[in-house]
Amino acid sequence: MKLSSLFLIAAALATAGVAAAKNIQLLNVSYDPTRELYTDFNRAFAAHWEAKTGDVVTVKQSHGGSGKQARSVIDGLPADVVTLALAGDVDALHANGRLIPADWQQRLPHNSAPYTSTIVFLVRAGNPRGIKDWDDLAKPGVSVITPNPKTSGGAQWNYLAAWEFARRKLGGDEAAKVFVRTLYKNVPVLDSGARGSTTTFVQRGIGDVFISWENEAFLALKEFGPDKFEIVVPSLSILAEPTVTVVDKVVKKKGTAEVARAYLEYLYSEEGQDIAGRHFYRPAVSAKAKAKYAAQFPQVELFTIGEAFGGWAQAKKTHFADGGTFDQIYAP
Amino acid sequence: MRTHRIRQLAPALLALLALPITLPANELAALREQLRQLEQKILILERKQELKDEAAAAAAKSAAKVTVSDGRVEIASADGAASLRLRGLVQGDYRWYDAANEPNDTFILRRARLIFEGRFNNVFSYVIQPELAGTIQILDANVNVAFTPAFNVRVGKFKTPVGLEQLQSDPVAFFNERSVATNLTPNRDVGVQFHGDVLGKTLNYTVALLNGVPDAGNNTTGSADFDSDKTVAVRLFATPFAHDKDSALNGLGVGFAASVGDYATASGRTSGYRTDGQQTFFAYDSSVVANGRGFTWSPQAYYYGGPLGILAEYVGSAIEVQRGTLAGREVKNHGYNLSVGYVLTGEDSSYRGVTPRTAFNPAAGTWGAFEVVARLAGVDIDDTVFAGTAAGRLANPSVSATQLTTYGFGLNWHLSRSVRTNFDVFRNEFDLAPGAAPAANALITEAETTFITRVQVAF
Repeated sequence: MKLSSLFLIAAALATAGVAAAKNIQLLNVSYDPTRELYTDFNRAFAAHWEAKTGDVVTVKQSHGGSGKQARSVIDGLPADVVTLALAGDVDALHANGRLIPADWQQRLPHNSAPYTSTIVFLVRAGNPRGIKDWDDLAKPGVSVITPNPKTSGGAQWNYLAAWEFARRKLGGDEAAKVFVRTLYKNVPVLDSGARGSTTTFVQRGIGDVFISWENEAFLALKEFGPDKFEIVVPSLSILAEPTVTVVDKVVKKKGTAEVARAYLEYLYSEEGQDIAGRHFYRPAVSAKAKAKYAAQFPQVELFTIGEAFGGWAQAKKTHFADGGTFDQIYAP
Repeated sequence: MRTHRIRQLAPALLALLALPITLPANELAALREQLRQLEQKILILERKQELKDEAAAAAAKSAAKVTVSDGRVEIASADGAASLRLRGLVQGDYRWYDAANEPNDTFILRRARLIFEGRFNNVFSYVIQPELAGTIQILDANVNVAFTPAFNVRVGKFKTPVGLEQLQSDPVAFFNERSVATNLTPNRDVGVQFHGDVLGKTLNYTVALLNGVPDAGNNTTGSADFDSDKTVAVRLFATPFAHDKDSALNGLGVGFAASVGDYATASGRTSGYRTDGQQTFFAYDSSVVANGRGFTWSPQAYYYGGPLGILAEYVGSAIEVQRGTLAGREVKNHGYNLSVGYVLTGEDSSYRGVTPRTAFNPAAGTWGAFEVVARLAGVDIDDTVFAGTAAGRLANPSVSATQLTTYGFGLNWHLSRSVRTNFDVFRNEFDLAPGAAPAANALITEAETTFITRVQVAF
């Protein structure tokens, strides 16, 4: 056999090797209540990616309190992507770990928030405590369930929503601080994440009202029925924008940058947006999905973190850093 | 406790409510509210305990694990990917010699070592082993990178991969001194080694590039080579029936090792070959140096089947040496070792030693494991080293023997996994070269008989 023939065979074999389907594994480190959303989404993306490239993608999920999850990634949990409850936790990956660039939020549409949500109240059927708005949560004898803002992104949204309500209604930060302190005196248990609080309220039967992610409240209603729970929409709430990013340092090392980026981009696709709506997250970009699911979301006045608190960096520093307002008002 | 009391109270309250007592509606509502609040308190206490338990379980999962067993201490990360193991070895001997050698009777601290072994990232591992008895030195200091089980790279100071018994760990050898055949095998050296298990882990290969040390020699300082020439050592060792648990040959291992290198040493070929009693029976003249090619080869095998263990090796050594300005010549020496052990108490014998089923505890009626051992070994020195005049020969026949044959018998008492005592008797018989006229008190004049006892702690 001539040398050139050998080269041809070798080249053909090499090409075949390159062209062979790959098995790719991604790790999505997310916050507490997104389990069901990403179980569905992962399935859809895997089918999409296999149809497009022939490669088989398996996406592993990790869930917990958003702040806690961010710390785990900084400490070495090899997440290809993070889909966390708030931009402040994703920022920590840059600030404390240099795992992503500073401008990570500009890499995907809608400030890297493919879906939004808000904060509502879940109460027991018949609303026996007559909960209507935030100020009812600070009344004596009302037992309130909310997770720990030190570890949970959802809990930070809850805290800030309550704070802004009080600031607007009672006038100023001092009054808001007194209000939030009174409210947290009514909190008997602080879970580390939103799903833990759901367990506390829904399954363990503790508390009169659960300050909840909208999607989590709908999920409880769907699973247990309106004969068990009701959703109460407060007069004012916060526009919660869970954000997502590829973890550059990890995907570079693992060689998964392309598929990780495609995974997050698929959240903005028609199918991704529809899956979000189906799981009671508010689609952020797709007009079709927005229209399809508009009826299921209650009308509520929403404010943004930027408007009320000057963004996540400022809000975290003022309220959730060591010695911040939460440390000042809460005594276990 | 508080929960328990409330729980005890709740049925009583329920019973009270069930009584056919007519209460005003507002009092009944108040009682119901009290009951609800009590129930909430119970639920909250239970939930808090549940969260505490969950947090404790999560903390335990991520916490480093400290394991202490038989004196060995190991600290490992929660995922097991990183660990540090602290081990130790202490051997205290007493040596009795026959009447001719009685002045040598002595207590001796044979070995005293602290061994640090660690690994991290599931890939890197290291060993640091200082020797604190005798010549204080770093015995082993190396880093191993395990790319795959089939391909590892070790860099640093480690045992030269030639002698089968030399490669066996000190505390688990049949006898408290290795056989005289190891006089001809190189010991620890500095270099790089590629090694791994292939063919379904039935074949172990090792290829090492080393500075080069003399027979039985150690690179004691870990310092630079004293000549620019290097030694290559290669070893293949097969355990073809290792996966066939039912085979009678399951414990069979067969191998071949060789090392080759050029030497130009200033300090002589070797400091001397020793008997089982650790006395020198052969030494080159002080002006003899290695100057040229050195080649060592060793077919080797072991067999372990139940309580029976057999270890056998042959060592051949060819080295070009030179005395002063005289012409150099090649010297060929040979050694052999056949050792047999049998564990009387039925435990399995193995290359890694004997693990007693019970530890010594007279109160519980347990005594550990007992093993009897026997050995036949020898070294045959090239007769040509004695040829020539006093000014031209390589070794003095009146001081050095041309052949040594040794017989060893012993009893090993394994008091626990880490404590062992040995009672070994050695008989060393010498053949003298033609023209030998040893002094009356020379070692080689008569056979040497030695009784060596040892207490050993190895963990």
